[in-house]
Amino acid sequence: MSTASPIWISDLTHYYNRKQEMPTLDDINLSIPQGQLTALIGRSGCGKSTLLQMVAGLLMPTEGAVRIRAHTVTKPSAKWNMMFQKPSLYPWMTVRENAALGLVFAGTYKQKKDRVEELLDMVGLSEHKDKNVQDLSGGQQQRVALARSLATEPEVLLLDEPFSALDAFTRTALQTEVAQICHDQNITMVLVTHDIEEAVAMADQVVIMSHNPGQIVGEKHIPLDYPRDRNSGEFITLKDELFAEFEKIDQAKQKKPFERLEVPKREVKPPVDDSLQQAS
Amino acid sequence: MSTAQISMPAEFFSQLSVNFKKMPVWAQSTINSILGMSILLFMWWIGGLLIANNPDTEAFADFAPGPALSALWALIGTEFLNDTIISSLERIIYGLFWGIVIGVPLGVLMGYFVGMRQVANMPFQFLRMISPLAWMPIAVLAYDTWDGAIVFLIVMATVWPIVFGTAHGVQRIDPNWFRVARNLGADGFQMLRRVIMPAIAQDVFAGIRLAVGVAWVVLVPAEYLGVTSGLGYAINDARDTLAYDTLAAMVVVIGVIGYLLDAVAVFLIKRYSWHAS
Ligand SMILES: Nc1ncnc2c1ncn2[C@@H]1O[C@H](COP(=O)(O)OP(=O)(O)OP(=O)(O)O)[C@@H](O)[C@H]1O
Ligand SMILES: [Mg+2]
Repeated sequence: MSTASPIWISDLTHYYNRKQEMPTLDDINLSIPQGQLTALIGRSGCGKSTLLQMVAGLLMPTEGAVRIRAHTVTKPSAKWNMMFQKPSLYPWMTVRENAALGLVFAGTYKQKKDRVEELLDMVGLSEHKDKNVQDLSGGQQQRVALARSLATEPEVLLLDEPFSALDAFTRTALQTEVAQICHDQNITMVLVTHDIEEAVAMADQVVIMSHNPGQIVGEKHIPLDYPRDRNSGEFITLKDELFAEFEKIDQAKQKKPFERLEVPKREVKPPVDDSLQQAS
Repeated sequence: MSTAQISMPAEFFSQLSVNFKKMPVWAQSTINSILGMSILLFMWWIGGLLIANNPDTEAFADFAPGPALSALWALIGTEFLNDTIISSLERIIYGLFWGIVIGVPLGVLMGYFVGMRQVANMPFQFLRMISPLAWMPIAVLAYDTWDGAIVFLIVMATVWPIVFGTAHGVQRIDPNWFRVARNLGADGFQMLRRVIMPAIAQDVFAGIRLAVGVAWVVLVPAEYLGVTSGLGYAINDARDTLAYDTLAAMVVVIGVIGYLLDAVAVFLIKRYSWHAS
Protein backbone atom coordinates (compact mmCIF):
# COMPACT_ATOMS: atom_id res chain seq x y z
CA MET A 1 0.00 0.00 0.00
CA SER A 2 2.61 2.52 1.01
CA THR A 3 4.55 2.19 -2.21
CA ALA A 4 1.47 2.37 -4.43
CA SER A 5 1.03 5.53 -6.45
CA PRO A 6 -1.57 7.83 -5.01
CA ILE A 7 -1.74 9.99 -8.13
CA TRP A 8 -2.45 8.62 -11.61
CA ILE A 9 -2.62 10.81 -14.67
CA SER A 10 -3.75 8.89 -17.71
CA ASP A 11 -4.06 9.92 -21.37
CA LEU A 12 -4.53 13.52 -20.36
CA THR A 13 -4.80 16.08 -23.15
CA HIS A 14 -5.85 19.65 -22.71
CA TYR A 15 -6.86 22.51 -24.96
CA TYR A 16 -7.65 25.85 -23.37
CA ASN A 17 -9.36 26.81 -26.55
CA ARG A 18 -10.97 24.68 -29.24
CA LYS A 19 -9.25 26.76 -31.94
CA GLN A 20 -5.77 25.90 -30.65
CA GLU A 21 -3.72 24.05 -33.25
CA MET A 22 -1.47 22.53 -30.64
CA PRO A 23 -2.78 21.10 -27.39
CA THR A 24 -1.48 22.82 -24.24
CA LEU A 25 -0.93 19.37 -22.77
CA ASP A 26 -0.49 16.39 -25.04
CA ASP A 27 -1.17 12.82 -23.94
CA ILE A 28 0.26 13.04 -20.44
CA ASN A 29 0.73 9.74 -18.63
CA LEU A 30 2.30 9.83 -15.22
CA SER A 31 2.14 8.08 -11.88
CA ILE A 32 3.48 9.74 -8.80
CA PRO A 33 4.92 7.68 -5.94
CA GLN A 34 3.59 7.83 -2.41
CA GLY A 35 5.39 9.89 0.22
CA GLN A 36 7.98 11.19 -2.22
CA LEU A 37 8.72 14.49 -3.82
CA THR A 38 8.36 14.63 -7.59
CA ALA A 39 9.59 17.70 -9.41
CA LEU A 40 8.05 18.82 -12.70
CA ILE A 41 10.47 20.95 -14.70
CA GLY A 42 10.19 22.63 -18.04
CA ARG A 43 10.42 25.95 -19.81
CA SER A 44 8.02 28.76 -19.10
CA GLY A 45 4.69 28.11 -20.79
CA CYS A 46 5.08 24.36 -21.23
CA GLY A 47 1.97 23.67 -19.15
CA LYS A 48 3.32 22.82 -15.71
CA SER A 49 0.86 24.99 -13.85
CA THR A 50 -1.96 23.76 -16.03
CA LEU A 51 -1.14 20.15 -15.20
CA LEU A 52 -0.83 20.89 -11.50
CA GLN A 53 -4.16 22.69 -11.40
CA MET A 54 -5.75 19.61 -12.94
CA VAL A 55 -4.31 17.44 -10.21
CA ALA A 56 -5.69 19.93 -7.68
CA GLY A 57 -9.13 19.80 -9.28
CA LEU A 58 -9.08 23.51 -10.08
CA LEU A 59 -9.23 22.81 -13.82
CA MET A 60 -10.75 19.93 -15.81
CA PRO A 61 -8.78 18.34 -18.66
CA THR A 62 -10.28 18.17 -22.15
CA GLU A 63 -9.49 14.45 -22.33
CA GLY A 64 -8.21 11.88 -19.91
CA ALA A 65 -8.36 11.98 -16.15
CA VAL A 66 -6.49 12.46 -12.94
CA ARG A 67 -7.09 10.02 -10.15
CA ILE A 68 -6.03 10.30 -6.59
CA ARG A 69 -6.27 6.76 -5.24
CA ALA A 70 -9.67 5.48 -6.29
CA HIS A 71 -11.12 8.94 -6.68
CA THR A 72 -11.35 10.71 -10.02
CA VAL A 73 -10.51 14.33 -9.39
CA THR A 74 -13.36 16.63 -10.36
CA LYS A 75 -13.15 19.35 -7.75
CA PRO A 76 -10.74 20.73 -5.17
CA SER A 77 -10.46 19.11 -1.79
CA ALA A 78 -8.50 19.89 1.34
CA LYS A 79 -7.06 16.36 1.00
CA TRP A 80 -5.04 17.45 -1.99
CA ASN A 81 -3.83 20.90 -1.38
CA MET A 82 -2.09 23.39 -3.59
CA MET A 83 0.46 26.02 -2.61
CA PHE A 84 0.90 28.88 -5.04
CA GLN A 85 3.78 31.11 -6.02
CA LYS A 86 2.31 33.95 -3.99
CA PRO A 87 1.27 33.17 -0.43
CA SER A 88 -2.13 34.90 -0.93
CA LEU A 89 -2.79 35.25 2.77
CA TYR A 90 -5.88 37.02 4.06
CA PRO A 91 -4.75 40.40 5.38
CA TRP A 92 -7.67 40.77 7.78
CA MET A 93 -6.61 37.66 9.70
CA THR A 94 -3.71 37.04 12.04
CA VAL A 95 -1.01 34.50 11.27
CA ARG A 96 -2.83 31.93 13.40
CA GLU A 97 -6.21 32.58 11.79
CA ASN A 98 -4.69 32.23 8.34
CA ALA A 99 -3.01 28.95 9.22
CA ALA A 100 -6.23 27.62 10.76
CA LEU A 101 -8.50 28.53 7.86
CA GLY A 102 -8.71 25.07 6.28
CA LEU A 103 -9.69 23.60 9.63
CA VAL A 104 -12.25 26.37 10.15
CA PHE A 105 -13.79 25.49 6.78
CA ALA A 106 -13.85 21.81 7.73
CA GLY A 107 -15.39 22.67 11.11
CA THR A 108 -12.61 20.88 12.98
CA TYR A 109 -10.59 23.81 14.30
CA LYS A 110 -11.79 23.36 17.90
CA GLN A 111 -10.52 19.78 18.06
CA LYS A 112 -7.30 20.50 16.18
CA LYS A 113 -6.16 23.80 17.66
CA ASP A 114 -2.92 22.20 18.84
CA ARG A 115 -2.01 21.14 15.33
CA VAL A 116 -2.03 24.75 14.16
CA GLU A 117 0.23 25.78 17.05
CA GLU A 118 2.63 22.91 16.35
CA LEU A 119 2.81 23.70 12.66
CA LEU A 120 3.49 27.37 13.28
CA ASP A 121 6.25 26.37 15.70
CA MET A 122 7.63 23.97 13.13
CA VAL A 123 7.85 26.60 10.40
CA GLY A 124 9.53 28.99 12.82
CA LEU A 125 6.71 31.44 13.44
CA SER A 126 6.24 30.87 17.20
CA GLU A 127 6.76 34.54 17.99
CA HIS A 128 4.53 35.82 15.21
CA LYS A 129 1.29 33.93 15.75
CA ASP A 130 -0.77 36.95 16.72
CA LYS A 131 0.72 39.32 14.18
CA ASN A 132 -1.04 40.68 11.15
CA VAL A 133 0.29 38.83 8.13
CA GLN A 134 1.07 42.12 6.40
CA ASP A 135 3.79 42.70 8.99
CA LEU A 136 5.73 39.59 7.94
CA SER A 137 8.54 39.23 5.43
CA GLY A 138 7.94 37.42 2.15
CA GLY A 139 9.62 34.27 3.44
CA GLN A 140 7.59 34.33 6.65
CA GLN A 141 4.40 34.78 4.65
CA GLN A 142 5.23 31.76 2.53
CA ARG A 143 5.79 29.80 5.75
CA VAL A 144 2.30 30.77 6.91
CA ALA A 145 0.96 29.49 3.60
CA LEU A 146 2.89 26.25 4.13
CA ALA A 147 1.45 25.83 7.63
CA ARG A 148 -2.02 26.59 6.24
CA SER A 149 -1.61 23.89 3.58
CA LEU A 150 -0.35 21.33 6.06
CA ALA A 151 -2.97 22.04 8.73
CA THR A 152 -5.68 20.06 6.95
CA GLU A 153 -3.36 17.02 6.88
CA PRO A 154 -3.40 16.66 3.11
CA GLU A 155 -2.29 13.39 1.55
CA VAL A 156 -1.00 15.30 -1.41
CA LEU A 157 0.63 18.71 -1.50
CA LEU A 158 1.05 20.44 -4.85
CA LEU A 159 3.58 23.23 -5.01
CA ASP A 160 3.59 25.68 -7.92
CA GLU A 161 6.93 27.52 -7.78
CA PRO A 162 6.34 28.34 -4.15
CA PHE A 163 9.83 29.70 -3.55
CA SER A 164 10.50 31.67 -6.70
CA ALA A 165 9.65 35.04 -5.15
CA LEU A 166 12.00 34.56 -2.19
CA ASP A 167 15.58 35.66 -1.63
CA ALA A 168 18.27 33.00 -2.04
CA PHE A 169 18.87 32.37 1.69
CA THR A 170 15.21 31.96 2.56
CA ARG A 171 14.65 29.88 -0.54
CA THR A 172 17.42 27.42 0.28
CA ALA A 173 16.21 27.06 3.88
CA LEU A 174 12.61 26.45 2.84
CA GLN A 175 13.62 23.98 0.12
CA THR A 176 15.38 21.87 2.72
CA GLU A 177 12.51 22.15 5.20
CA VAL A 178 9.80 21.20 2.73
CA ALA A 179 11.70 18.15 1.46
CA GLN A 180 12.12 17.15 5.11
CA ILE A 181 8.40 17.56 5.85
CA CYS A 182 7.52 15.49 2.79
CA HIS A 183 9.48 12.51 4.02
CA ASP A 184 8.85 12.93 7.76
CA GLN A 185 5.11 13.24 7.39
CA ASN A 186 4.74 10.88 4.44
CA ILE A 187 3.03 13.48 2.26
CA THR A 188 3.13 13.00 -1.49
CA MET A 189 4.41 16.19 -3.05
CA VAL A 190 4.54 17.48 -6.61
CA LEU A 191 6.74 20.52 -7.13
CA VAL A 192 6.59 22.65 -10.25
CA THR A 193 9.73 24.63 -10.89
CA HIS A 194 11.99 25.87 -13.65
CA ASP A 195 14.96 25.91 -11.34
CA ILE A 196 17.04 22.79 -12.02
CA GLU A 197 19.05 23.19 -8.85
CA GLU A 198 15.85 23.34 -6.81
CA ALA A 199 14.66 20.13 -8.45
CA VAL A 200 17.90 18.29 -7.69
CA ALA A 201 17.99 19.66 -4.14
CA MET A 202 14.48 18.56 -3.25
CA ALA A 203 13.13 15.82 -5.46
CA ASP A 204 13.22 12.03 -5.40
CA GLN A 205 12.51 12.09 -9.11
CA VAL A 206 12.35 14.76 -11.76
CA VAL A 207 9.87 14.74 -14.63
CA ILE A 208 11.00 16.73 -17.66
CA MET A 209 8.47 18.52 -19.81
CA SER A 210 8.78 20.05 -23.26
CA HIS A 211 6.62 22.80 -24.73
CA ASN A 212 4.46 23.25 -27.84
CA PRO A 213 2.83 20.90 -27.17
CA GLY A 214 3.30 20.29 -23.47
CA GLN A 215 4.50 16.73 -23.14
CA ILE A 216 6.60 14.61 -20.82
CA VAL A 217 9.90 13.80 -22.47
CA GLY A 218 11.86 12.20 -19.68
CA GLU A 219 12.15 11.22 -16.08
CA LYS A 220 15.16 11.11 -13.80
CA HIS A 221 15.67 9.51 -10.44
CA ILE A 222 17.68 11.50 -7.87
CA PRO A 223 19.29 8.90 -5.60
CA LEU A 224 20.74 11.30 -3.01
CA ASP A 225 20.21 11.29 0.75
CA TYR A 226 18.78 14.24 2.64
CA PRO A 227 20.03 16.76 3.59
CA ARG A 228 21.78 17.21 0.29
CA ASP A 229 25.15 18.81 -0.20
CA ARG A 230 24.81 21.14 -3.16
CA ASN A 231 28.56 21.18 -3.71
CA SER A 232 29.04 17.42 -3.83
CA GLY A 233 30.23 15.84 -7.07
CA GLU A 234 27.08 13.73 -7.42
CA PHE A 235 24.82 16.73 -7.00
CA ILE A 236 26.68 18.70 -9.66
CA THR A 237 26.74 15.74 -12.05
CA LEU A 238 22.98 15.27 -11.74
CA LYS A 239 22.43 18.96 -12.34
CA ASP A 240 24.65 18.88 -15.45
CA GLU A 241 22.83 15.84 -16.78
CA LEU A 242 19.50 17.63 -16.45
CA PHE A 243 20.88 20.71 -18.20
CA ALA A 244 22.10 18.45 -21.00
CA GLU A 245 18.60 16.98 -21.36
CA PHE A 246 17.20 20.47 -21.85
CA GLU A 247 19.82 21.29 -24.43
CA LYS A 248 18.80 18.20 -26.37
CA ILE A 249 15.17 19.30 -26.25
CA ASP A 250 16.09 22.80 -27.38
CA GLN A 251 18.06 21.49 -30.34
CA ALA A 252 15.20 19.28 -31.42
CA LYS A 253 12.78 22.20 -30.98
CA GLN A 254 14.92 24.53 -33.05
CA LYS A 255 14.51 22.27 -36.03
CA LYS A 256 10.79 21.71 -35.57
CA PRO A 257 9.45 24.29 -33.16
CA PHE A 258 5.80 23.27 -33.31
CA GLU A 259 5.90 19.50 -33.48
CA ARG A 260 5.62 16.97 -30.77
CA LEU A 261 8.87 15.26 -29.89
CA GLU A 262 9.14 11.56 -30.56
CA VAL A 263 9.25 9.88 -27.21
CA PRO A 264 8.39 6.31 -26.36
CA LYS A 265 4.73 5.90 -25.43
CA ARG A 266 4.59 6.00 -21.67
CA GLU A 267 2.62 3.20 -20.12
CA VAL A 268 0.76 4.06 -16.97
CA LYS A 269 -1.86 1.66 -15.76
CA PRO A 270 -4.05 3.09 -13.08
CA PRO A 271 -5.34 0.55 -10.58
CA VAL A 272 -8.52 -1.10 -11.79
CA ASP A 273 -10.77 -0.51 -8.89
CA ASP A 274 -14.18 -2.02 -8.65
CA SER A 275 -14.87 0.34 -5.76
CA LEU A 276 -14.80 3.65 -7.57
CA GLN A 277 -16.60 5.19 -4.65
CA GLN A 278 -15.83 8.68 -3.51
CA ALA A 279 -12.70 8.44 -1.43
CA SER A 280 -12.54 12.01 -0.25
CA MET B 1 17.17 97.05 25.88
CA SER B 2 14.65 97.75 23.18
CA THR B 3 15.66 94.61 21.26
CA ALA B 4 14.96 92.50 24.35
CA GLN B 5 11.45 93.88 24.50
CA ILE B 6 10.79 93.15 20.84
CA SER B 7 12.00 89.58 21.06
CA MET B 8 9.82 88.90 24.08
CA PRO B 9 6.61 87.87 22.29
CA ALA B 10 8.54 86.06 19.56
CA GLU B 11 10.39 84.12 22.20
CA PHE B 12 7.17 83.42 24.02
CA PHE B 13 5.58 81.95 20.90
CA SER B 14 8.60 79.94 19.88
CA GLN B 15 8.78 78.55 23.42
CA LEU B 16 5.08 77.76 23.21
CA SER B 17 5.46 75.91 19.93
CA VAL B 18 8.43 73.93 21.26
CA ASN B 19 6.42 72.90 24.31
CA PHE B 20 3.42 72.05 22.15
CA LYS B 21 5.48 69.75 19.96
CA LYS B 22 6.73 67.92 23.04
CA MET B 23 3.19 66.99 24.04
CA PRO B 24 1.75 63.58 23.25
CA VAL B 25 -0.10 63.40 19.95
CA TRP B 26 -3.53 62.93 21.53
CA ALA B 27 -3.05 66.09 23.63
CA GLN B 28 -2.00 68.05 20.55
CA SER B 29 -5.01 66.89 18.58
CA THR B 30 -7.38 67.64 21.48
CA ILE B 31 -5.98 71.14 21.85
CA ASN B 32 -6.29 71.72 18.11
CA SER B 33 -9.89 70.48 18.08
CA ILE B 34 -10.78 72.81 20.95
CA LEU B 35 -9.08 75.62 19.08
CA GLY B 36 -11.12 74.89 15.95
CA MET B 37 -14.41 74.81 17.85
CA SER B 38 -13.47 78.04 19.63
CA ILE B 39 -12.88 79.75 16.30
CA LEU B 40 -16.26 78.55 15.04
CA LEU B 41 -18.00 79.76 18.20
CA PHE B 42 -16.17 83.06 17.98
CA MET B 43 -17.27 83.60 14.39
CA TRP B 44 -20.84 82.75 15.32
CA TRP B 45 -20.63 85.29 18.14
CA ILE B 46 -19.25 87.96 15.80
CA GLY B 47 -22.03 87.15 13.32
CA GLY B 48 -24.57 87.54 16.11
CA LEU B 49 -23.14 90.95 17.03
CA LEU B 50 -23.26 92.12 13.42
CA ILE B 51 -26.88 91.01 13.07
CA ALA B 52 -27.90 92.63 16.35
CA ASN B 53 -26.22 95.94 15.47
CA ASN B 54 -27.72 96.23 12.00
CA PRO B 55 -31.18 97.82 12.13
CA ASP B 56 -32.30 95.73 9.14
CA THR B 57 -31.57 92.42 10.83
CA GLU B 58 -31.82 93.12 14.54
CA ALA B 59 -35.07 91.09 14.69
CA PHE B 60 -32.91 87.99 14.19
CA ALA B 61 -30.60 88.74 17.12
CA ASP B 62 -31.61 85.50 18.80
CA PHE B 63 -29.45 83.61 16.29
CA ALA B 64 -26.46 84.54 18.44
CA PRO B 65 -24.75 81.85 20.51
CA GLY B 66 -26.07 83.16 23.85
CA PRO B 67 -29.81 82.84 23.19
CA ALA B 68 -29.35 79.77 20.98
CA LEU B 69 -27.38 77.82 23.56
CA SER B 70 -29.74 78.71 26.37
CA ALA B 71 -32.66 77.61 24.16
CA LEU B 72 -30.77 74.38 23.51
CA TRP B 73 -30.19 73.91 27.22
CA ALA B 74 -33.89 74.32 27.85
CA LEU B 75 -34.74 71.85 25.06
CA ILE B 76 -32.40 69.07 26.11
CA GLY B 77 -34.29 66.20 27.65
CA THR B 78 -37.71 67.50 26.62
CA GLU B 79 -40.13 65.14 24.99
CA PHE B 80 -40.37 67.54 22.05
CA LEU B 81 -36.67 67.39 21.26
CA ASN B 82 -36.47 63.63 21.81
CA ASP B 83 -39.43 62.99 19.49
CA THR B 84 -37.99 65.35 16.90
CA ILE B 85 -34.64 63.58 16.91
CA ILE B 86 -36.17 60.11 16.92
CA SER B 87 -38.42 60.92 13.93
CA SER B 88 -35.46 62.15 11.93
CA LEU B 89 -33.25 59.23 12.91
CA GLU B 90 -35.99 56.76 12.02
CA ARG B 91 -36.22 58.17 8.52
CA ILE B 92 -32.45 58.08 8.15
CA ILE B 93 -32.28 54.50 9.37
CA TYR B 94 -35.04 53.30 7.04
CA GLY B 95 -33.46 55.14 4.13
CA LEU B 96 -30.03 53.80 4.91
CA PHE B 97 -31.41 50.30 5.39
CA TRP B 98 -32.95 50.28 1.93
CA GLY B 99 -29.92 52.00 0.49
CA ILE B 100 -27.78 49.14 1.80
CA VAL B 101 -30.20 46.40 0.80
CA ILE B 102 -30.33 47.73 -2.76
CA GLY B 103 -26.84 49.20 -3.03
CA VAL B 104 -24.64 46.37 -1.78
CA PRO B 105 -25.90 43.65 -4.15
CA LEU B 106 -25.81 46.09 -7.07
CA GLY B 107 -22.28 47.05 -6.09
CA VAL B 108 -21.23 43.40 -5.87
CA LEU B 109 -22.58 42.74 -9.38
CA MET B 110 -20.91 45.87 -10.70
CA GLY B 111 -17.60 45.04 -9.09
CA TYR B 112 -17.64 41.43 -10.16
CA PHE B 113 -18.80 41.58 -13.77
CA VAL B 114 -16.93 43.90 -16.11
CA GLY B 115 -19.96 43.93 -18.41
CA MET B 116 -22.25 45.03 -15.60
CA ARG B 117 -19.79 47.76 -14.74
CA GLN B 118 -19.72 49.01 -18.30
CA VAL B 119 -23.50 48.96 -18.59
CA ALA B 120 -24.21 50.50 -15.20
CA ASN B 121 -21.46 53.04 -14.82
CA MET B 122 -22.80 55.87 -17.01
CA PRO B 123 -26.44 55.71 -15.90
CA PHE B 124 -25.45 55.42 -12.24
CA GLN B 125 -23.01 58.31 -12.42
CA PHE B 126 -25.75 60.29 -14.15
CA LEU B 127 -28.35 59.47 -11.50
CA ARG B 128 -25.86 60.15 -8.73
CA MET B 129 -25.46 63.73 -9.89
CA ILE B 130 -29.17 64.49 -9.57
CA SER B 131 -29.97 66.12 -6.27
CA PRO B 132 -32.14 63.67 -4.34
CA LEU B 133 -34.51 66.58 -3.67
CA ALA B 134 -35.20 66.79 -7.39
CA TRP B 135 -37.10 63.50 -7.03
CA MET B 136 -39.58 65.13 -4.67
CA PRO B 137 -42.45 65.50 -7.14
CA ILE B 138 -42.06 61.89 -8.23
CA ALA B 139 -41.78 60.73 -4.64
CA VAL B 140 -44.96 62.55 -3.70
CA LEU B 141 -46.81 60.93 -6.59
CA ALA B 142 -45.46 57.49 -5.87
CA TYR B 143 -46.03 57.38 -2.12
CA ASP B 144 -49.23 57.82 -0.15
CA THR B 145 -47.49 59.20 2.90
CA TRP B 146 -45.00 61.99 3.30
CA ASP B 147 -42.88 59.65 5.40
CA GLY B 148 -42.67 57.18 2.53
CA ALA B 149 -41.69 59.97 0.16
CA ILE B 150 -38.93 61.18 2.47
CA VAL B 151 -37.51 57.69 2.92
CA PHE B 152 -37.54 57.34 -0.86
CA LEU B 153 -35.54 60.56 -1.20
CA ILE B 154 -33.02 59.30 1.34
CA VAL B 155 -32.70 56.04 -0.53
CA MET B 156 -31.99 58.02 -3.70
CA ALA B 157 -29.27 59.82 -1.78
CA THR B 158 -27.69 56.75 -0.15
CA VAL B 159 -27.68 54.06 -2.86
CA TRP B 160 -25.07 55.59 -5.11
CA PRO B 161 -22.20 55.98 -2.68
CA ILE B 162 -22.95 52.49 -1.36
CA VAL B 163 -23.05 51.00 -4.87
CA PHE B 164 -19.76 52.61 -5.85
CA GLY B 165 -18.08 51.84 -2.53
CA THR B 166 -19.08 48.18 -2.71
CA ALA B 167 -18.06 47.87 -6.36
CA HIS B 168 -14.68 49.34 -5.54
CA GLY B 169 -14.22 46.86 -2.70
CA VAL B 170 -15.15 43.90 -4.89
CA GLN B 171 -12.78 45.04 -7.62
CA ARG B 172 -9.92 45.06 -5.14
CA ILE B 173 -10.44 41.41 -4.20
CA ASP B 174 -7.40 39.35 -5.14
CA PRO B 175 -8.67 36.45 -7.32
CA ASN B 176 -6.13 34.22 -5.59
CA TRP B 177 -8.13 34.58 -2.37
CA PHE B 178 -10.95 32.68 -4.06
CA ARG B 179 -8.60 30.05 -5.44
CA VAL B 180 -6.95 29.46 -2.08
CA ALA B 181 -10.25 29.31 -0.21
CA ARG B 182 -11.75 26.91 -2.73
CA ASN B 183 -8.61 24.84 -2.47
CA LEU B 184 -8.97 24.73 1.33
CA GLY B 185 -12.48 23.37 0.92
CA ALA B 186 -14.63 26.48 1.39
CA ASP B 187 -18.27 26.20 0.35
CA GLY B 188 -20.22 29.13 -1.05
CA PHE B 189 -21.43 30.39 2.30
CA GLN B 190 -17.98 30.17 3.88
CA MET B 191 -16.53 32.01 0.90
CA LEU B 192 -19.02 34.80 1.48
CA ARG B 193 -18.54 34.94 5.23
CA ARG B 194 -14.76 34.48 5.52
CA VAL B 195 -13.49 35.96 2.28
CA ILE B 196 -15.88 38.26 0.43
CA MET B 197 -17.48 40.08 3.35
CA PRO B 198 -14.31 40.87 5.27
CA ALA B 199 -12.55 41.78 2.04
CA ILE B 200 -15.10 44.42 1.04
CA ALA B 201 -16.32 45.53 4.49
CA GLN B 202 -14.17 48.61 4.77
CA ASP B 203 -15.13 49.86 1.32
CA VAL B 204 -18.80 49.23 1.99
CA PHE B 205 -18.54 51.21 5.22
CA ALA B 206 -16.66 53.97 3.42
CA GLY B 207 -19.61 54.12 0.99
CA ILE B 208 -22.03 54.13 3.93
CA ARG B 209 -20.10 56.99 5.50
CA LEU B 210 -20.56 59.10 2.38
CA ALA B 211 -24.19 57.98 2.19
CA VAL B 212 -24.88 59.04 5.78
CA GLY B 213 -23.38 62.45 5.06
CA VAL B 214 -25.55 63.02 1.99
CA ALA B 215 -28.65 61.55 3.66
CA TRP B 216 -28.34 63.79 6.67
CA VAL B 217 -27.95 66.85 4.50
CA VAL B 218 -30.94 65.87 2.37
CA LEU B 219 -33.16 64.95 5.31
CA VAL B 220 -33.67 68.46 6.69
CA PRO B 221 -35.00 70.11 3.51
CA ALA B 222 -37.05 66.98 2.84
CA GLU B 223 -38.69 67.42 6.22
CA TYR B 224 -39.69 70.98 5.35
CA LEU B 225 -42.41 69.39 3.25
CA GLY B 226 -45.57 67.82 4.55
CA VAL B 227 -44.45 66.00 7.67
CA THR B 228 -45.11 67.31 11.16
CA SER B 229 -42.13 65.86 12.96
CA GLY B 230 -38.37 65.78 12.66
CA LEU B 231 -35.58 68.33 12.71
CA GLY B 232 -36.45 69.89 9.37
CA TYR B 233 -40.06 70.37 10.50
CA ALA B 234 -38.86 71.83 13.81
CA ILE B 235 -36.69 74.36 11.99
CA ASN B 236 -39.49 75.37 9.69
CA ASP B 237 -41.89 75.63 12.61
CA ALA B 238 -39.44 77.77 14.60
CA ARG B 239 -39.13 80.10 11.62
CA ASP B 240 -42.89 80.46 11.32
CA THR B 241 -43.21 81.24 15.03
CA LEU B 242 -40.21 83.62 14.92
CA ALA B 243 -38.46 81.49 17.58
CA TYR B 244 -35.00 82.15 16.19
CA ASP B 245 -33.21 80.92 19.28
CA THR B 246 -34.92 77.53 18.92
CA LEU B 247 -34.11 77.56 15.23
CA ALA B 248 -30.42 78.09 15.94
CA ALA B 249 -30.55 75.44 18.65
CA MET B 250 -31.94 72.97 16.10
CA VAL B 251 -29.10 73.79 13.75
CA VAL B 252 -26.70 72.90 16.55
CA VAL B 253 -28.55 69.63 17.17
CA ILE B 254 -28.34 68.77 13.46
CA GLY B 255 -24.61 69.42 13.46
CA VAL B 256 -23.98 67.38 16.60
CA ILE B 257 -26.00 64.38 15.43
CA GLY B 258 -24.42 64.52 11.98
CA TYR B 259 -21.02 64.54 13.61
CA LEU B 260 -21.91 61.54 15.78
CA LEU B 261 -23.29 59.57 12.82
CA ASP B 262 -20.10 60.23 10.93
CA ALA B 263 -18.03 59.18 13.94
CA VAL B 264 -19.88 55.85 14.06
CA ALA B 265 -19.14 55.30 10.36
CA VAL B 266 -15.48 56.19 10.86
CA PHE B 267 -15.30 53.76 13.75
CA LEU B 268 -16.76 50.98 11.57
CA ILE B 269 -14.34 51.74 8.74
CA LYS B 270 -11.40 51.52 11.14
CA ARG B 271 -12.78 48.42 12.79
CA TYR B 272 -13.08 46.57 9.47
CA SER B 273 -10.06 48.01 7.76
CA TRP B 274 -7.36 45.50 6.94
CA HIS B 275 -4.77 47.72 5.37
CA ALA B 276 -1.38 47.71 7.03
CA SER B 277 -1.09 50.81 9.18
N1 LIG C 1 -6.43 30.49 -18.79
C1 LIG C 1 -5.76 30.27 -19.94
N2 LIG C 1 -6.36 30.44 -21.13
C2 LIG C 1 -5.71 30.22 -22.28
N3 LIG C 1 -4.41 29.83 -22.34
C3 LIG C 1 -3.75 29.65 -21.19
C4 LIG C 1 -4.39 29.86 -19.93
N4 LIG C 1 -3.49 29.62 -18.95
C5 LIG C 1 -2.36 29.27 -19.57
N5 LIG C 1 -2.51 29.28 -20.91
C6 LIG C 1 -1.47 28.92 -21.89
O1 LIG C 1 -1.15 27.57 -21.70
C7 LIG C 1 0.25 27.37 -21.77
C8 LIG C 1 0.76 26.73 -20.50
O2 LIG C 1 0.58 27.62 -19.41
P1 LIG C 1 1.07 27.27 -17.94
O3 LIG C 1 0.70 28.39 -17.07
O4 LIG C 1 0.59 25.94 -17.58
O5 LIG C 1 2.66 27.24 -18.14
P2 LIG C 1 3.80 27.01 -17.07
O6 LIG C 1 4.58 25.85 -17.53
O7 LIG C 1 3.24 26.94 -15.71
O8 LIG C 1 4.67 28.31 -17.25
P3 LIG C 1 5.47 29.15 -16.15
O9 LIG C 1 6.70 28.39 -15.86
O10 LIG C 1 5.76 30.44 -16.83
O11 LIG C 1 4.57 29.31 -14.98
C9 LIG C 1 0.85 28.73 -22.04
O12 LIG C 1 1.15 28.81 -23.41
C10 LIG C 1 -0.22 29.71 -21.67
O13 LIG C 1 -0.16 30.83 -22.50
MG1 LIG D 1 3.33 28.26 -14.01
